[in-house]
Amino acid sequence: MTPSPGLRPGEILFALVLLGLALFAFREAHGISGFSGLTTGGAMPMTAAAVMVVAAGFILGDAVMRRRAPGAGPGATLRFLFSPRLVVFAALMAGYGAAIPWAGFLVASTAFLFAAVLILWRRGPLAAGAVTLAAIVAVWVIFRLVFQVVLPTGTLWP
Amino acid sequence: MTEVLGFFATSWLDPSLLILTALGTLAGIYVGAIPGLSVTMAVSILISFTFKWDVNSALALIAGVYVGGVYGGARTAILLNIPGAPSAIATAIDGYPLAKKGLAGEAIGLSTVMSVIGGLIGVAALALAAPLISDIAIRFTSRDYMLLGIIGILLVGTLSGESFAKGAFAGALGVLIGMVGLDPMTAEARFTYGSINLMGGIPYVVAMIGFFGVAEALIQLERLDTRPVRQAVARIVPAWGEVRRYLKVGLRASGIGTLIGALPGTGGDIAALLAYDDARRSTKTPETPFGQGAKEGLIAPEAANNAAVGGAFIPMLTLGIPGDAVTAIVIGALFIHGLKPGPLLLTETPHLFWFIVGNLTLANLFLLVFGLTGIRVFTRIVECPRAILIPLIVVLSAVGAYAIQNNPVHIYWTLAFGVLGYFLKKYGFQVAPIILGVILGPMIDANYRRAMIGAREDVGQFLLDFVTHPISCALSFALVVMLLARTPAWRRLRRARRG
Repeated sequence: MTPSPGLRPGEILFALVLLGLALFAFREAHGISGFSGLTTGGAMPMTAAAVMVVAAGFILGDAVMRRRAPGAGPGATLRFLFSPRLVVFAALMAGYGAAIPWAGFLVASTAFLFAAVLILWRRGPLAAGAVTLAAIVAVWVIFRLVFQVVLPTGTLWP
Repeated sequence: MTEVLGFFATSWLDPSLLILTALGTLAGIYVGAIPGLSVTMAVSILISFTFKWDVNSALALIAGVYVGGVYGGARTAILLNIPGAPSAIATAIDGYPLAKKGLAGEAIGLSTVMSVIGGLIGVAALALAAPLISDIAIRFTSRDYMLLGIIGILLVGTLSGESFAKGAFAGALGVLIGMVGLDPMTAEARFTYGSINLMGGIPYVVAMIGFFGVAEALIQLERLDTRPVRQAVARIVPAWGEVRRYLKVGLRASGIGTLIGALPGTGGDIAALLAYDDARRSTKTPETPFGQGAKEGLIAPEAANNAAVGGAFIPMLTLGIPGDAVTAIVIGALFIHGLKPGPLLLTETPHLFWFIVGNLTLANLFLLVFGLTGIRVFTRIVECPRAILIPLIVVLSAVGAYAIQNNPVHIYWTLAFGVLGYFLKKYGFQVAPIILGVILGPMIDANYRRAMIGAREDVGQFLLDFVTHPISCALSFALVVMLLARTPAWRRLRRARRG
């Protein structure tokens, strides 16, 4: 087993979120069939959710007991989790997911790849455009033509 | 016997399967070598494209990618000091110093030959041990399958992760994701919230692509600026005398790799580290000290991680519990093709078992060919910047998620699982137990309920059955020992015994 490192920024908060998630999951699992029987559809979900609650309790306890790094605070947590690059990329990903149903795979993927490569690679729009074009053609040929995979179509363009 | 040989040689004699295995192995070497791409990621994406194929073609490609991918990580570990895969971390310790001394070609040649030897030993162990284990496993009851499922999830979660609690949480989360949809026994809705999209459940391939593909891509964003240092490559094919000299180390490491690979929840990375440690302890007078370019330190992890491939297939095919993350995905592929890995696989579909054995052997032979050639092209391709790879992984993940049922909602699930996986990974969680939970959760649920119904819903009788039936008793004992071994009291006891 990998040795446990020191407390990461925001680890206690994350453990609390997990505990909340586990408790919510238990409540939802209980809603399936309650404690009405041992072989009902809700028995296993409740067991799994109970394991999550107990495990989250231990994770929280472990995090609380670990030594806190000097200078740790909300700022450190934000820096640890959300680098500017990640925020931009996640926003692009969300935009990509939202664009697929109306723009279709080809247009949405081309736009996403171009923007992401342009921002991450920083070699200018010409290089990003060339890479995007090559990648989209390769994906189209391999998956649509060779593997016969159906790619998402949009409401604006096929 | 003739029949078995016929099944074994299926992929050797069919040109299309031969090409698929070769292509898979070649692609696997690159996937394993390119930092940022992983075999698990590639196999999980591949499954979504190959599920419409016949089972042999899909398995030929996947087996090739798996074998090639486990090996591929070594090349970048030697040439760039960046292990392409976790199983090559130990390889870099002595491989990169060898490259810095101008012996990169020799190091790649030796690691290739020893990887192939390890791989073939692992496959031989699979062929010999699987039928024996299967004979025992055929006596398993619902209760035993339930226990096996729990053991499988917990082993993967606890052996490779940071803490037992994190492994257990991840496994249970996976089980919950696997429960979404209509209950197959009572048609009761579970976590569907009235949505039609959730009635059929969340396909595990969607979870796999999200947790392994998108999450890893997001994590890789942090390493965008890592610059590799390229080394010169001279002669690659090793001299026979060199191979013979290090054969003993290779064979020993292969044995370790096979054994570790066969333990559910371990896999090539742990096998490689243990074999490296064993080589360091057992080599009394290395020509070069370990850590500074000892060839034993290069050979041992490489032989072990490839031997672990065959080993990982043993519990997967005989008991239905995967040996590592990739075989967890291969189980998914077998289910998609209507096959049920477990003790009956060998009796009901022996052709499939021997096909896998034959195909893994073939992939290892292709590995020898591709491993000793094309190194110059290779060094150029693996330097593909992560800034291009990461967005491409997201696009491929979207294609893979959509291809399962042509449902755009699955793309959203994939992206959401990717984001969740990112946070979990940042805080030291392993995502493999989640996938195992998604796959094995429904199996555990169904077998628990069968076992409980068999005990007429009498909790006392249900619990008594765990100790009165020999197989259940042995499995329960293993589970209890596994849980006890994670307690602080047990660790204190071990420390005290070590003095």
